[in-house]
Amino acid sequence: MKRELIITNEPIDEAKLIAARTMSSGMGAALYFVGVVRGQEGDNTISAIDYEAFQKMVEHQFALLFDQMEKRWPIESVRLVHRIGIVKVNEPSLWVEIVSPHRGEAFAACQWLIDEMKRVVPIWKKPVVGDAA
Amino acid sequence: MKPDEGAAMDIKVNFFSYFRDLTGCAETVEQVPDNTTLGELYAALILKFPKLAAMEKSTLMAVGVDYQPRGYRLKSGDEVSLFPPVQGG
Repeated sequence: MKRELIITNEPIDEAKLIAARTMSSGMGAALYFVGVVRGQEGDNTISAIDYEAFQKMVEHQFALLFDQMEKRWPIESVRLVHRIGIVKVNEPSLWVEIVSPHRGEAFAACQWLIDEMKRVVPIWKKPVVGDAA
Repeated sequence: MKPDEGAAMDIKVNFFSYFRDLTGCAETVEQVPDNTTLGELYAALILKFPKLAAMEKSTLMAVGVDYQPRGYRLKSGDEVSLFPPVQGG
């Protein structure tokens, strides 16, 4: 299974990521998910989220999750980009792509990966109220 | 540390997210006896940083880049990280 993990302060360039997609002839599903910062956090209106990561542990925990994914589903590739630092409302903070033979495993694996990320990958968010520039 | 407690070791502890606000620092070094568990280290840290007490149940603990249970016995050279529940995505 090919893996690509990018933790970045830069905006997520979806077009560039999609253009870089590779699939072998046996693959029939390419699924991607984009997580976008909402303007509401609980009862508060916010302008951005400030993401913090424990980078070394983030890389290790994602590697463990990718190992489990590979054992569980016949996935050809997984690519995941998580932004850190200030991410404004309506901007993507997370981009995940799964390439697999059929849609079933792609949907299941993507859902599982994001659920597990939210459980074990050390990234935290701090809502920003007011001007996020 | 009392003389009959055996050798001591310095354990570096990192704080992430709002734990830095609770402790007022990003890291500290705690001297503990050999074989101290993570749970015992946390109890010692509460004496130093009382605001951590309220977070005891929900705190996640890692040694290096792996999660460890509270019963984990610390070794010389271990680097501990303490943080609140994660929130990626």
